[in-house]
Amino acid sequence: MKIDNRTFLAAGVIIALLIGVMAVFFASGDPDGLESTALVVQGEKTITGAAPEHAEIQKEIVGRFSYSAPMADYSFSETMGPLEGIIAIGLGTILAFLAVLGIIYAIKKVRPPLQNQ
Amino acid sequence: MHIPDAFIPIWQGAIYWLLALVFVALALRWARNEMNEEKLPLVAVLAAGIFALQSFNLPVSMGTSGHLVGGALAAIILGSPFAAIFILTMVLIVQGVLFGDGGITTMGANIINMGVIGGFVGFYSFKGILRMTKSMPVSAFVAAWLACLVPALAAAFEMFFAGTFPLVAGLITMGVYHAVIGILEGLVTIAAIYLITSVRPDLVETGAIRGKEVGP
Repeated sequence: MKIDNRTFLAAGVIIALLIGVMAVFFASGDPDGLESTALVVQGEKTITGAAPEHAEIQKEIVGRFSYSAPMADYSFSETMGPLEGIIAIGLGTILAFLAVLGIIYAIKKVRPPLQNQ
Repeated sequence: MHIPDAFIPIWQGAIYWLLALVFVALALRWARNEMNEEKLPLVAVLAAGIFALQSFNLPVSMGTSGHLVGGALAAIILGSPFAAIFILTMVLIVQGVLFGDGGITTMGANIINMGVIGGFVGFYSFKGILRMTKSMPVSAFVAAWLACLVPALAAAFEMFFAGTFPLVAGLITMGVYHAVIGILEGLVTIAAIYLITSVRPDLVETGAIRGKEVGP
């Protein structure tokens, strides 16, 4: 099956959004590889062991930059349940898509490439 | 493997940022030269898809989860490591600024790990292995696995320089987790390449599809 540009765009974005929705419901709550390693080197977890329930990753705060993202951890009010994650991830997916389109339009406008040889 | 701000001192983050900016500039040049109306949808859809896939943490046992990074996928599909740098940079900016997924001062390090190292390792290992094995799935799997593992080992070195992880324990632990996460990376990368080449073989670069007539 071959599809044209517009169908490809629409289908691609829809698939990405569906992956995002699935992520909200099925994603693992375990720490990722880097966080898990942090717990291991802190001595709160063994390499192959389960992640401890209430383990905190020690973070050096003094002298380190700190920034509060508006939708930290893909949530913003913690009152909407899974819908909140869907909105956050959906918004991020669309933004990543638009950011790429926007940047490419911008740099193409500034210096258009030589066309037709 | 998104490094948060707290894990790297600001001055070291600045060094990674400077290095990353060189590659981001090269990636922008790639985008300016290579982008056309035909390829634009593919790049934009890959950015959306990689963002969504990165939010999907899959359990990999050992009390750990992992998600696709996507550097190998972008580089293989678009035929350039700079494609991976371009797309991963945009994804990391959205993640860091809006969602706190990966830090701001550490964004340079994250761009270097996942975009630059992931893109170059993914692209060149794919090309090399494809030449030897003539098999797209085998080459894509190994390339994606390496493009997950090698950036994780690079992150372990950065954590060592930052004083956050000891070197050997960091390398072993990061290596073990991402060797397993890389299997998922490989499988998803193969699936995504098949999916995209089945609907738009004309958009896909390099040897990702072999033996098929590409063109009008």
